[in-house]
Amino acid sequence: MTDGTIQGTTEEAMQATGCRTRFAGLLAPGLPADRLGRLALALRLPPVQAPAGPAPLAVLLAGDGSAVPDSDTLWLPPVAAWIEPPAGTGASDPTAQLAALVADAAASDLYLNLTTATAHDLQLGGRLLAALSARHPLEGDRRDDLELALHEAVSNALVHGNLGVAGMKELSAKELERFSRDLGDRLADPVLAGRRIVVTLRIDPAENGRPLATVEITDEGAGFTPGPRASSGASGRGLELIGSIVDGLAIEDGGRRIRLRFRL
Amino acid sequence: MDYGIEVRDQEAVIRLRGRLTFNDHAKLRALIGEMGQNKLKRQVLDLSSLEFVDSAGIGMLLIAREEMDRADKQFILRSAAGQVKRVLTVAQIAKIVPIED
Repeated sequence: MTDGTIQGTTEEAMQATGCRTRFAGLLAPGLPADRLGRLALALRLPPVQAPAGPAPLAVLLAGDGSAVPDSDTLWLPPVAAWIEPPAGTGASDPTAQLAALVADAAASDLYLNLTTATAHDLQLGGRLLAALSARHPLEGDRRDDLELALHEAVSNALVHGNLGVAGMKELSAKELERFSRDLGDRLADPVLAGRRIVVTLRIDPAENGRPLATVEITDEGAGFTPGPRASSGASGRGLELIGSIVDGLAIEDGGRRIRLRFRL
Repeated sequence: MDYGIEVRDQEAVIRLRGRLTFNDHAKLRALIGEMGQNKLKRQVLDLSSLEFVDSAGIGMLLIAREEMDRADKQFILRSAAGQVKRVLTVAQIAKIVPIED
């Protein structure tokens, strides 16, 4: 257990310093230049036009759909964080809120914080896998499996968590129709569509030469109690599939956070 | 995900392309409707061009199977490869739906 203790201590020390990623710049392809300039100044990060060099960058994604990057390069190194700036409703200052998110991002190796509206059709599982694989090459079946695990965890957080859509229970077209309708209705609800999904990914060196990845995916839904699934429904295989792929799976915060650990 | 239907002598072959995920609910509803409408008894889903499927995608395939059963039609999955074949195996779908190479 010596290794575990040493690793735990190192991990705690790193968490205490709070910094794993020192951002060297801010990219915001969908924001007007003057807004990016103001945010960059407030966050004390230089604005950057395009990804270049090895130093980590944070991307700000505008939430109106116009700025969702089609370009794969925005999902690859040196970009290490993808943040949709808070809209600034209520009393709190949106720039201060954004600064807090960037600080959270600095405490992870990869970080993502988006509204459900932005996240739901981004294929985030595949995007995260590409970002991870660019840093620690993954191939073949292992790559496919991990993409599925990430995709399932993200989908659960969005569909069942933030949007509160129940899984398809009966095997019938009627039930598929109900799922379809609920998903559409709830995505059209600005409160539900504005709920956030947060993904943090940390990579730690480990014994036997294979780094250990820890991914936490947090939603703002009602949570759930994990239990045995009914064997006959159309839904409910997601958690089982994740469990069959990863080395460690934990459900926390009443079902609002899932933590996956796997060797790279 | 996209699909195309080819009606042959003995069977309708529906080729799925791309990624089948929870987001494809509307397409699956349309597909189930089209499979129900053509007269053929054998409805074959050709999965050779499908690159990725998730658990909701599997659930929707099971719904399609159930609906074909209700319409007294056969529902067959064919030529799964790569990730799709792997997930079908792990989820033990062959116990429920006939899978052909």
